[in-house]
Amino acid sequence: MGVKLIKREGNTFKEKIYLPAIFNGLKTTFSHFIRNLKDTSNIKTICYPEEQPKDITSNYRGVHRLTKREDGTIRCVACFMCATACPAECIFIEAKEREDGIDEKMPSVFTIDLLECVFCGLCVEACPCDAIRMDTGIFSFSATCREDFLLDKNRLLCNEPMKEGKNNG
Amino acid sequence: MSSVLLVVVSVNVILALLFSIGAAPIMVWLERRVAGFIQDRLGPNRCNIKGIRLGGLIQSFADMLKLVFKEDFRSSTIRERFLFSLSPVIVFVCAFLAFMVVPFADNLVLFDEVYVMQAVPVELGVLWFLAFAGLGVYGIMIGGWASNNKYSLLGSIRSSAQMISYEAAMALSLVSVLVTYGSLNLVDAVNFQAQLIFGFIPAWGVLIQPVATIIFIITAFAEANRTPFDIAEGESEIVGGFHTEYSAMRFGLFFVGEYVAMSTSSAFIVTLFFGGYHLPWLDTQVLKGNMPTVLAVAMVVIPLISFIFMRWVYKNNIWLDKNDARNKESIWLLKILLFKNVVILSLLGYALFVGIGENVTNILTCILQVVTFAIKLLLVNFFFIWVRWTLPRFRYDQLQTLGWKVLMPLAIANIFITATFIVVMGV
Repeated sequence: MGVKLIKREGNTFKEKIYLPAIFNGLKTTFSHFIRNLKDTSNIKTICYPEEQPKDITSNYRGVHRLTKREDGTIRCVACFMCATACPAECIFIEAKEREDGIDEKMPSVFTIDLLECVFCGLCVEACPCDAIRMDTGIFSFSATCREDFLLDKNRLLCNEPMKEGKNNG
Repeated sequence: MSSVLLVVVSVNVILALLFSIGAAPIMVWLERRVAGFIQDRLGPNRCNIKGIRLGGLIQSFADMLKLVFKEDFRSSTIRERFLFSLSPVIVFVCAFLAFMVVPFADNLVLFDEVYVMQAVPVELGVLWFLAFAGLGVYGIMIGGWASNNKYSLLGSIRSSAQMISYEAAMALSLVSVLVTYGSLNLVDAVNFQAQLIFGFIPAWGVLIQPVATIIFIITAFAEANRTPFDIAEGESEIVGGFHTEYSAMRFGLFFVGEYVAMSTSSAFIVTLFFGGYHLPWLDTQVLKGNMPTVLAVAMVVIPLISFIFMRWVYKNNIWLDKNDARNKESIWLLKILLFKNVVILSLLGYALFVGIGENVTNILTCILQVVTFAIKLLLVNFFFIWVRWTLPRFRYDQLQTLGWKVLMPLAIANIFITATFIVVMGV
């Protein structure tokens, strides 16, 4: 274990008068300024909402949706796993008996409060039937009153999965 | 008072208003857009009046309207109400008055009478600037104290500490310049810079007094409360500093005052060190003697600049939504610019064709010099903004060390060398 001598910077005359370093800094900022002034398309800022973000990947956790079986009926069996797993307690389910013979139970009410939801994705992981997913790619949702943020069963069923390279936002 | 004098005086006052207060919204806009570009952002670009955005300039007017119509809130804890209201006025008026002595053009000769192109034609020039620039800090100090708020008080203490550290160096750096020019009058100072050294180098202050130039520019940053010396505000440390308690137009006056102070400092840097209203190598006599040539050159240069500008606008002024009114802006700009060019070119062509009398020559020279001054002012203002987005803030003991231990000895040494040189050379 030898002693390592670290060279102290900033003691030469050139460094002490600051001006060369200041001019270097000015040169850097000016090169950025000129490059962006010549061609504003170099700037990475996107003009939302006219321009939508293109970097929303397939594993992005957007607004939830309820999946359907091949015959178009709801896949959820109202097992309450998602509601139990939910740390924000934003999923409200009421179960009823399923009468079309496909399964025994289905939700009569399935509501997600988006204002409570923390978008952690635990509900998706908890689901044994792959009935709830967050792959819609919807990152922006707005409404004029609190009630509109309560997504009921029909609205959750209507949400579509994200198309390749395009979001539903 | 003759009517010509009245016209010249009002033109001067309007020019002074235009360059100081009128420049404030433009400076705010420039500040934001330049900051954006330097940091690879866009800056404000959405605000528009029927699709006309002018690159985001409309945002400044929107902000100004907001400041005027906002609720003028004053906390009930403020006891010194009169001083509280007075301090923004002091800051604003001082910055504004300091601008008034800047000459915009050489003395104008009309009908064999000489008119000084200054809003306040005083001989004191530099002293006037030092006086009002020094007074401006009282506004900040009083405002911070009257606010009855710890942050504000800290801000005003910092600003007084700042003032005692730069003011001495600033005045001393000016002394050597004054010794060189041999006059307090700014018109004389500018005309001195119109000469040539060795017949080909313009005798600008920056070339014959480089040390004084650097000291003055550094202290001018401190005087205008701009980064790297904006320690009176220090928003990351003491909220807003002296203007924490201010809102609406009271704050607006501080805000505009800051930009006017910046313009004032720029104007003095231009006047004292960068040849003022003179184009390099073309002093007033040369311009007057060769007016037809100058006009012919202008007839080529103005359309050329317009063409390059419009090409740039068409390349960069794009709005993604095709149906938006903002997409029609480029066409509007093109029409306005074409109209302006046609008017200017036809006037110039007419003047060249008919031939120009002495008065017209003098007025054209004057206009050219005002334009030169405006362009130089804009460039130095740009430098202020550019530095702001490059350098971090100094601590205020660092500023005091810089002011007292570095800049003041340098300034004194500079006076000594300049004076020796002048005495020895007997200039």
